[in-house]
Amino acid sequence: MSAESRGKLLVGGAVVASLLLVVAYLAAGGASYTPTKTQDPCKHRPWRNPQGIAEIAQQFTLSALDGAACQLGVSRETLARALATPAARERFMDRYGINDAKLAKAIRAGLVRAVDDAENAGALSPFLAVPLRETVQHIPLDEAIELIQDGRSLLENAQSFLGPAGGLIEQFLP
Amino acid sequence: MLADSSVVVLALPQIYRELDTSIAGVTWVLVSFNLVMALAAVPAAHIARRVGPGRAAAVGLAVFAGASLACGASSHLTTLIAARCVQALGGAAAVTAVLELLPATVGSERRAAVVWATAGATGAALGPAIGGILTQLVSWQSIFLLQVPVAIAAAVPILAVAKHEAATGVIEPELRKTGRPHVFANLALAMVSAAIAAALFLLVLLLIEGWGLTPIGAAIVVTVMPLSALLGSRLGPVVPSARARAAAGAIFVSGGLGGLALLPKAEVLLTVPPQILIGIGLSLVLSALTETALSGRSPQAIHGGWTISARHAGVVIGLLALTPIFTHDIAKQRTDAIDAGTAVVLDSRVSPLLKIELAGKIVDRMEGERGRVPTIGPAFDPLPTDPVDRAAVLELRSELQNQLDRGATHAFSPSFLLGALLGLLALIPIGLARRMDL
Repeated sequence: MSAESRGKLLVGGAVVASLLLVVAYLAAGGASYTPTKTQDPCKHRPWRNPQGIAEIAQQFTLSALDGAACQLGVSRETLARALATPAARERFMDRYGINDAKLAKAIRAGLVRAVDDAENAGALSPFLAVPLRETVQHIPLDEAIELIQDGRSLLENAQSFLGPAGGLIEQFLP
Repeated sequence: MLADSSVVVLALPQIYRELDTSIAGVTWVLVSFNLVMALAAVPAAHIARRVGPGRAAAVGLAVFAGASLACGASSHLTTLIAARCVQALGGAAAVTAVLELLPATVGSERRAAVVWATAGATGAALGPAIGGILTQLVSWQSIFLLQVPVAIAAAVPILAVAKHEAATGVIEPELRKTGRPHVFANLALAMVSAAIAAALFLLVLLLIEGWGLTPIGAAIVVTVMPLSALLGSRLGPVVPSARARAAAGAIFVSGGLGGLALLPKAEVLLTVPPQILIGIGLSLVLSALTETALSGRSPQAIHGGWTISARHAGVVIGLLALTPIFTHDIAKQRTDAIDAGTAVVLDSRVSPLLKIELAGKIVDRMEGERGRVPTIGPAFDPLPTDPVDRAAVLELRSELQNQLDRGATHAFSPSFLLGALLGLLALIPIGLARRMDL
């Protein structure tokens, strides 16, 4: 084989090997990656067959996060991380220029939306939904954050929020 | 000295953390050295011709050794970068002068060019392994401190030449007219060097910062490149055409970078085939272009200076072009991946209180990593004792880490693609060179 042919073979081999690699990786999904998109928190997210208080509490928390995030114009995920620790909350408020009042208003709105969603899903009786809705609109920020983090405490400890009416809670939960 | 950047690249993640800087800041540890080398190589070669290569090499090695010591003793980024600039000045003086001494040592200028080119390719390929092992087993400072005895050892035989020059006064000051440098070969060398810098620099960062490998782990992985370069060096003698070797090498490098840009998963084994192509390619293209740039041109020191200048300018261009792209991409991908991961946590079936606890720990991990891609595993420790919760948490951990790994991998894709493009652009000067075959 002449020197020229060997040169051409080498260049051809380089082209073929490179194309094979690129095509193989493309076929294996190399260009398909897109990060999972977070949903618009202002869009209604249907509840998934809530069964029992634990499941209702989960859905309640997610609805409340959606509602508050929608009010603040951030994603549900960003708000969830912001509320994870006091330091994270401070950084979040600094970054987005949010004060305590605005955060409290948003979280209360989130809790109201969660009560609405629970009622619409048939997970909460209207008799319980009405006083709960009224209650969450007036609770202090720290308590509101606790509730948004864990709806179970609201549902389980309704006695303390609702007074005598709270005793009826178990009757109205599925 | 020819291997400097590829050795230091493995230490960058540790320097980045210990000296409390940014990715863009730590890049200047490489950029400063390569920039000064690019600017100083040709003037240093002229000085070597005037004062004698023995003396220039001895002084250069002494400066390099002193500056290496200063690099190793640096505790601030600015002093490290300043020492790196001085190190490059010494390095430029030493390597160009040594090239002038090589023909007498190896027998001919042609043979000297081959030895020189092989040393460059071997250094670039072996560097990461040396850098990774030293960084992890000792410290990032050890990379620079080790260069001190190496430079002194190299200076010992050269001192005899310097003494001889001083005693006899036999220096060949610009006796021969300096020919014009091989523009196309040097231009192609710069472009290919930019692409190779991208390959080494980005792959190391992906492995250590993106996928959380240790420096030694990363060094073992990137050793595939020098091993493949050995294979490439076997092909050299079989194909005498330097143009064909250079073109094939540039295509191999670009193909490998294309493969790294399209990694289907965050999986170490998948980096092996692209690295094989890059290793074979760098061996072929660097040696072919360097030999071409030096062949039939004298004095060797001046033309060697041009090749050093071209190679290091290419590294600078590659690093400066790629750093802002991938630092932006990695920040964006990190945010997207963390959002996606948080969505996974929120939508999981673990109890709300456990979710809150996990969210708090994950936030702590992210803050602790200061903008880097976090290793999320420890946020899940200790695992719940309840078997149902434990299984749910393990599944969550795996999904979340997968999101982060894929995000990190994808963040490097545009930069690898740009590197591939730079490699392909080298085909233009290779094609345009009228007289390339030796």
